[in-house]
Amino acid sequence: MTAPPDRRRFPPEIAGERATLQGYLDYHRDTLMWKCAGLTPDQLRARPLPTTNLSLLGLVRHLADVERGWFRRRVAGEDAPPIFYTEAEPDLDIDPPADADPEADLAVWRSEVAACDRAVAGRDLDDTFVSRTDTLSLRWLYGHMIEEYARHNGHADLIREAIDGATGE
Amino acid sequence: MTTPAAPPDTRREPPETGDERAMLEGFLDFHRETLRWKCAGLTDEQLRAYSVPSSALTLLGLARHITEVERWWFLPFLGEEPEPVYFTDEKPNDDFDALDTVPPAEVFDRWAVEVERIRTAVAPIGLDAEFVRRGKTFSLRWAYLHMIEEYARHNGHADLIREGVDGVTGE
Repeated sequence: MTAPPDRRRFPPEIAGERATLQGYLDYHRDTLMWKCAGLTPDQLRARPLPTTNLSLLGLVRHLADVERGWFRRRVAGEDAPPIFYTEAEPDLDIDPPADADPEADLAVWRSEVAACDRAVAGRDLDDTFVSRTDTLSLRWLYGHMIEEYARHNGHADLIREAIDGATGE
Repeated sequence: MTTPAAPPDTRREPPETGDERAMLEGFLDFHRETLRWKCAGLTDEQLRAYSVPSSALTLLGLARHITEVERWWFLPFLGEEPEPVYFTDEKPNDDFDALDTVPPAEVFDRWAVEVERIRTAVAPIGLDAEFVRRGKTFSLRWAYLHMIEEYARHNGHADLIREGVDGVTGE
């Protein structure tokens, strides 16, 4: 099985701090979409690995709420409660219900990514915000989001390979 | 089967505020230590296990590969040509695949030695430093972030391989 067409944006090799961070974040956002490309709703919902219940759809829902929680709720102070999980059921993002709709959930992810970029566009990397008792900088958050996506894209690599054999860095 | 406890977690967390350099070094060190943590407390046989049935990846293969990647991206900034350790031109995937050529303990020692030397030697070099490979110019800033995402992605693989080996999980 060949991988779907690769139209990802690649990070700039020579650029300043902000452009390089944004480039790596966008690259990993695009990588997650690439790992999901060309699959049916059932394949996106599939949990194909024997020792974990992770699915591509679960990763998309999880990252939509991770983006929203950090960039919009904590950094920008927006009234943006979780979309896919609740206090009573905190894993419903990454562990989707059987009737979850991949097309709708992917649309939510896309709209969150756009809203998150807007929420931090005017802020400096040295700007800080408070999460629980910690004071964190926007610089830290960019680093965290890159590692968060990259790690989950490692999960996505193995899930996708188990679904249809498609691989690719 | 009872899931064994995860090995002791002594990883250093990246700084929550700080300048660009501190952030890059902090996240990279965190992921270097995370891969080591994912490999901790296992037998040689477990380190070589193909525990995700659809994948050819192993924890030992990841440790060998990442040693090559550290050398590949950082040694040019030290003016050195990175000669391969575990693969050859004829067998370019032997870092992942040729798991019997070097005992695991030696692989992990070699990786630690390379990382320590690279950390110390790269620290005083400015993030705008550049090197050219095959006509393309790369900054040290790009290389740090590439190494962070490279480790983090492989740590995603390591998460699922480790879970397949003995059930141990952990972010």
